[in-house]
Amino acid sequence: MAKTTRKKKKKSAPTNGQTSSNGHSRKRRSATAQSMAAKQRTISVSEFFAKNRHLLGFDNPRKALLTTVKEAVDNSLDACEEAGICPEIWVQIDQLKQNRFLVAIQDNGPGILKKQIPLIFGKLLYGSKFHRLRMSRGQQGIGISAAGMYGMLTTGKPVKILSKLSVRKPYHYYEVQIDTKTNNPEILNGKGDGVDIAAKNAAAYMEKHDIQWERYYDVEGDEAPAEVKSGTRVSIELEGRYHRGRGSVDDYLEQTAIANPHVTLHYRDTDGTLKVYKRSTEVLPPEPKEIKPHPYGVELGRLVTMLKEVKTGTISQFLTQSFSRVSSSVARRICETASVSTRATTRRIGRNDIESLYDAIQETKIRAPSTDCISAIGEELILKGLYQVVPGEFFVAATRPPAVYRGNPFQLEVGLAYGAGTTAQKVSLELLDQLINESDARTLRQFLVTTFDGLGTDAADRIIKETELGTRKSPGRLVKAEREKLHAAMRNVNVSEGQSMQVLRYANRVPLQFKQRDCAITQSVMGTNWRPYGLSQSRGSLPSGPVTVMVHLASVWVPFTSESKEAIASYPEIEKELRLALQAVGRKLGMYLRRRKRVKQEGERRNVFLRYLGEVATAVSEINGANRQKLYDQLLRVAKRKTAEADAEYDRHGKKVDPTADEYGDNVLIVDQDPEELLTEHLNSDNTQQELF
Amino acid sequence: MAKRASKKKKAPSNGAAKPKLTAKDRRTLKSLRTVADQVVKVAQRSRAPHLDIPSRSLSNVRYNKRKRFIEMGSSKNRRELFNLSQAKSYMQTMLVSSGCKQLIEQGKTTSIRGMYYLLKHTIEGTKEETFDDQADCDPVIEDVEVTMNALREELHVYASNRGSLVGNILLTDSGDSIDCARMGSGGYAIPSICEPEVLQFNKCQADFILHVEKDTVWRRFNEDKFWKTHNCILTHGNGQPPRGVRRLLHRMHNELKLPVYCLLDNDPWGYYIYSVIKQGSINLAYESSRMAIPNAKFMGMRSKDYTRCDLSPSVTINLSDNDIKRAKQIAKYPWFEKKKAWQKEINLMLENGFKLEVEALISKDISYVTEEYVPARLADGDFLD
Repeated sequence: MAKTTRKKKKKSAPTNGQTSSNGHSRKRRSATAQSMAAKQRTISVSEFFAKNRHLLGFDNPRKALLTTVKEAVDNSLDACEEAGICPEIWVQIDQLKQNRFLVAIQDNGPGILKKQIPLIFGKLLYGSKFHRLRMSRGQQGIGISAAGMYGMLTTGKPVKILSKLSVRKPYHYYEVQIDTKTNNPEILNGKGDGVDIAAKNAAAYMEKHDIQWERYYDVEGDEAPAEVKSGTRVSIELEGRYHRGRGSVDDYLEQTAIANPHVTLHYRDTDGTLKVYKRSTEVLPPEPKEIKPHPYGVELGRLVTMLKEVKTGTISQFLTQSFSRVSSSVARRICETASVSTRATTRRIGRNDIESLYDAIQETKIRAPSTDCISAIGEELILKGLYQVVPGEFFVAATRPPAVYRGNPFQLEVGLAYGAGTTAQKVSLELLDQLINESDARTLRQFLVTTFDGLGTDAADRIIKETELGTRKSPGRLVKAEREKLHAAMRNVNVSEGQSMQVLRYANRVPLQFKQRDCAITQSVMGTNWRPYGLSQSRGSLPSGPVTVMVHLASVWVPFTSESKEAIASYPEIEKELRLALQAVGRKLGMYLRRRKRVKQEGERRNVFLRYLGEVATAVSEINGANRQKLYDQLLRVAKRKTAEADAEYDRHGKKVDPTADEYGDNVLIVDQDPEELLTEHLNSDNTQQELF
Repeated sequence: MAKRASKKKKAPSNGAAKPKLTAKDRRTLKSLRTVADQVVKVAQRSRAPHLDIPSRSLSNVRYNKRKRFIEMGSSKNRRELFNLSQAKSYMQTMLVSSGCKQLIEQGKTTSIRGMYYLLKHTIEGTKEETFDDQADCDPVIEDVEVTMNALREELHVYASNRGSLVGNILLTDSGDSIDCARMGSGGYAIPSICEPEVLQFNKCQADFILHVEKDTVWRRFNEDKFWKTHNCILTHGNGQPPRGVRRLLHRMHNELKLPVYCLLDNDPWGYYIYSVIKQGSINLAYESSRMAIPNAKFMGMRSKDYTRCDLSPSVTINLSDNDIKRAKQIAKYPWFEKKKAWQKEINLMLENGFKLEVEALISKDISYVTEEYVPARLADGDFLD
């Protein structure tokens, strides 16, 4: 204790302007308040994020590439939707060098005004979305400028933006980079003013300066191609690493297509292969409205600030005007509970009154915020999206009614696809070759688990066992014959057994790809008991089975755990809605699986009889010389009738299972599988038959 | 499913090779055919075929006090083809029926194991066998017996021979005359079918029958020519006597008027053997009237023999928990329950806490059992009934 007090003394000494006589301590002291003050200065946001780029999702080259594409695509989609344009996005990735890529994203959005371009792309925390409560993909206005900054830091190249507002107006062309010291844009071309390219001779100019622009939409048949009238194209050169499989750009775009069925995506990857995800609906999602905060979501401190900010007026006015869902009668009730006069002016209100107001708000029943501020994807479109991208036999979707966390309305939607195989079984030998070359996994097992969705360690181990290669074998060292072996094993091993559920997470239609474990969605999926729904699940882990679940959280303000927007924070209200939504789809999955099991059982039952009928008919005809075939046919007829009866009985005694499909409700899609096929499939598997006896 | 995969011996179709059928055979064939016809009839009417099989369980037997043996009750188990758990056994029952039909028509007999092999084949289109093992097949044969109300021998099926006989009796077995007094050390192997058609008694000078539990004891008696000195017939059934032995004892007892004395171990197992000989078994209750010997007497070993014969404690075997449980069960059987002597006997064994095998008497002297024990019992007439 004595020591600490002495230290304090020493510190306080210089501030008093006295020089310490203690020579010993002077030697140790290296800074004075003055010298320290000289070093103290504002940290620019850009500087902060340049140093902490992992906070924004630029931790490693691999992720950086994805984040860049993601931010650009998100912005494009937001812009298009806000302008009421059906989004058409072009994504192009070119590999310039081993680790250097040129990423270009173009949309058919409204374009950006000339003077805004440098600020949007060259200044962190500049955006339209931060100050309003409105559902959008982007929030803070960091994303795309951060991507540009990352590109600049790693390659020294500026961000190139080409934007056009309408057919006749010129293209605005900018080369921008961010001044990290001041967090301000620096324009490099056109003597710091950017370049306008007249629409007339744009083609020639662009060719000369190597500027690219998708001029026309794709056409079907012989129609004249429609021109892209407006839009923005941003290209960023950056250091990155291209790979396929989980957490890749390909994956991200595919998942985006699922959650955004109104978007057409053109994606040209590093090989020049073009992949197009066509929109399955022309209807744009309803435009989300901007809302005022809901009283339940306002904390005491914020209430105080709001009261200070508001112009003079009565408390009642303040409450009704600043919050959503507060009518004058609700305001009166709040005031009554808080025993504050409704006509008291906001200026006069004291700290204690604010506190009692705050308490009163919590106690008063206020309607949930209006939900038209959220545009959910909708059950039908979720089913469409899932069906188009995820293979399966059973699809179900559920949209929860909107709810509120901290006064922010949110809505949860869950889609589930059952029967999807893992990508591991569909991969071609060439692609596998490529995947192996691109992978940086150290062991074969790691390669399998990280590259392919829904492939658990169990399944990976089984595949490796089948190949008879060592688990610790490096995938890069595999010779051709071994690769072929691996490919064969991946096709042959029944991976669906150990396959774990694949969870696709979305926040405001944006797929989340990293930090799966930290995310409230994954935690809720793991916390839900899936066993009653016919899936096997070990405690505290994802259930296993060929299942894909997509969860979409739509909210005016998505509570991410970090700025890189990779995981959703778990608020109790969100957890509750998640649980209910998952249970809703789970119940239907359970119904489907039970029914499928029943069809199987029916088959089994008939099968048991069928097997013995022949023997019985032969024995009887041997005893009394009856016509064997005739007897067999007769018995067969009885068998068919009897199995049907037996199944009907099962219904009566079993739990609420009806043979009609209507019972599932509307939001279910079943890809018909021939019941006979199920039967034959079953006939061939002898093991299950044996279990009957 | 349309064609059978297995190749079965087809019954010879030409009349020349057809053996002569006895009246019994014809009757059995008729009842087999009735069952088969029933299936056809039911199938024609699109109904589910079934069989009513008399139940062979403890719940369906009852002790007939007047006749003094176990009789089978009237309860039946329905076996349905279109019932998941019964489909296979229904099929097996029909298979066994058709197997018996073949045997009868060809005038041949086979063992139950032979029957199992005759009918065992893979079911067409599956990997499943009609019978997994013989244990699968044996109860089905018994089911067919009770269903057709026919004895096993009438179905031309026999069990393996077990048990031997020696003594002053002349008999004819399948046309061969046999002098059971001249059977050497092995004795006459009692066939599993002892019906009058097969086995006839010609001449008998013996005074009684001594049935012992096991081969080892039987050998002692045979070696000492006990049957000669005491003028009796000596049999053993190798533990629980098979139906051939029981049938033969029954016939000799009733047709030759010979009393039957049993020399069995003093343990629950021995008691139960006696109970089966005397009252019939639960499993074969339907044949009690042809097998049970209500007048059979229990000679020994007795619980009191430990003191009576002054045996050494080292020849006793301690009762296991299972033995105690079983003894208490046996004491509760209706045919033992009312007999004070038996209650006393069983209680004494439980009190002793050990059991005695007949061989224990050898500890006194090798021939103690033949020279002293049995003659003494015969002389004082100390039997349990």
